[in-house]
Amino acid sequence: MILTSSNTLENKKIIEYKGLVTGEALIGDNIYKDLFSGVRDVVGGRTSKYEDEIKKTRDIALESMREKAEQLNANAIIGLKISYDNLGGTMGNTILITAYGTAINYE
Amino acid sequence: MKINKEEQPNLQKTLVSIALGTLIGLGTYGFCLHFDIEIIGWNLGLLFAPLAAGYSETYIAKKLVGKDVGAISALILFIVTVVYGFIIDNPTLGYNLITLASIIIILQAAAPTVTNYFGMVILLGIISKLIDFIKRISDKCYTKLFKRAKKNNEIIDVIKIFNESESNELLNSQNFYYFTPNTINLEYENIGYFYATKVMDKNTAILGISSSEIKKKRLNDLKTGKDECLIKLANEIKSKNGNGVIDLEIEYFLTGFQASEFQIVAQGMGIRVKE
Repeated sequence: MILTSSNTLENKKIIEYKGLVTGEALIGDNIYKDLFSGVRDVVGGRTSKYEDEIKKTRDIALESMREKAEQLNANAIIGLKISYDNLGGTMGNTILITAYGTAINYE
Repeated sequence: MKINKEEQPNLQKTLVSIALGTLIGLGTYGFCLHFDIEIIGWNLGLLFAPLAAGYSETYIAKKLVGKDVGAISALILFIVTVVYGFIIDNPTLGYNLITLASIIIILQAAAPTVTNYFGMVILLGIISKLIDFIKRISDKCYTKLFKRAKKNNEIIDVIKIFNESESNELLNSQNFYYFTPNTINLEYENIGYFYATKVMDKNTAILGISSSEIKKKRLNDLKTGKDECLIKLANEIKSKNGNGVIDLEIEYFLTGFQASEFQIVAQGMGIRVKE
């Protein structure tokens, strides 16, 4: 399945617009990962954990969106948008990742 | 804990960098203590030892492993300096409120999430359980005294799994086109700019529910809220004789007093697609 943030697919003709597909995933407060974050924030050392976590969560959101597009018998998603929103939480680290786009059929 | 064979050399390198970081930190602390490097009675080793340990560990780890390994030595040095500097080598320390408050502040600085979690979730949880216990006893007394059974209005909160395919069908069966691109290959006329909002409680029902359940519930609420918001937007555009939206954007943010609410906004250009 082709995923693109552009409005069209190059050299391909869009036959049918199938509809909106969305996927959401949350990174929750994880106190085990945040243990002793205060000291470690100063000297670095926690960022890569969050990077991995964000990547995993984004993949979940994208996969959920892709499954919905398959359900609509689409073979591509155009106008893809991914947003990261901070929803607070104990330490302000509850992050919502949403992916949404328009499912289409091309030939 | 299982460790892959491939990861084993990395683990050794990680331990080496933590050990070296700790040694450098201890050296810095020893240096500061030996030469009495202090400002207004505060030994600067308290500040510099964890920093030196963390920075050197991160530097060594980046050379050896290729990434930082979590500044564990900074944490070790933090504990060493606090235990030695504030407790062992502190003649003014006494059993009083100031000591207790200092310990809480030190813990808060080192482990804010754990300390906050303890204060906000565990303590509040214990208080709520206590109140619940007292209420149950008083309820029993009330029933026995007045021989009347109170209505059982206990709510069992079961978190359902959000049905993704149902939501997908619901959204795409509105006789309405949702387009995220800002141009489409169909003939259409613009109607105007539309938006729909949905405000929902942040749902901070921490007491009694575990963190992962809150996460599930929150996400379910957000998904349902998003669907409602999109349908609201469609109805708004339909009422102006439109049948689609282009350049659709969905946004989520916190609003209200002390960020007590979630708000979802769906916005875009309302259009009428010529069939």
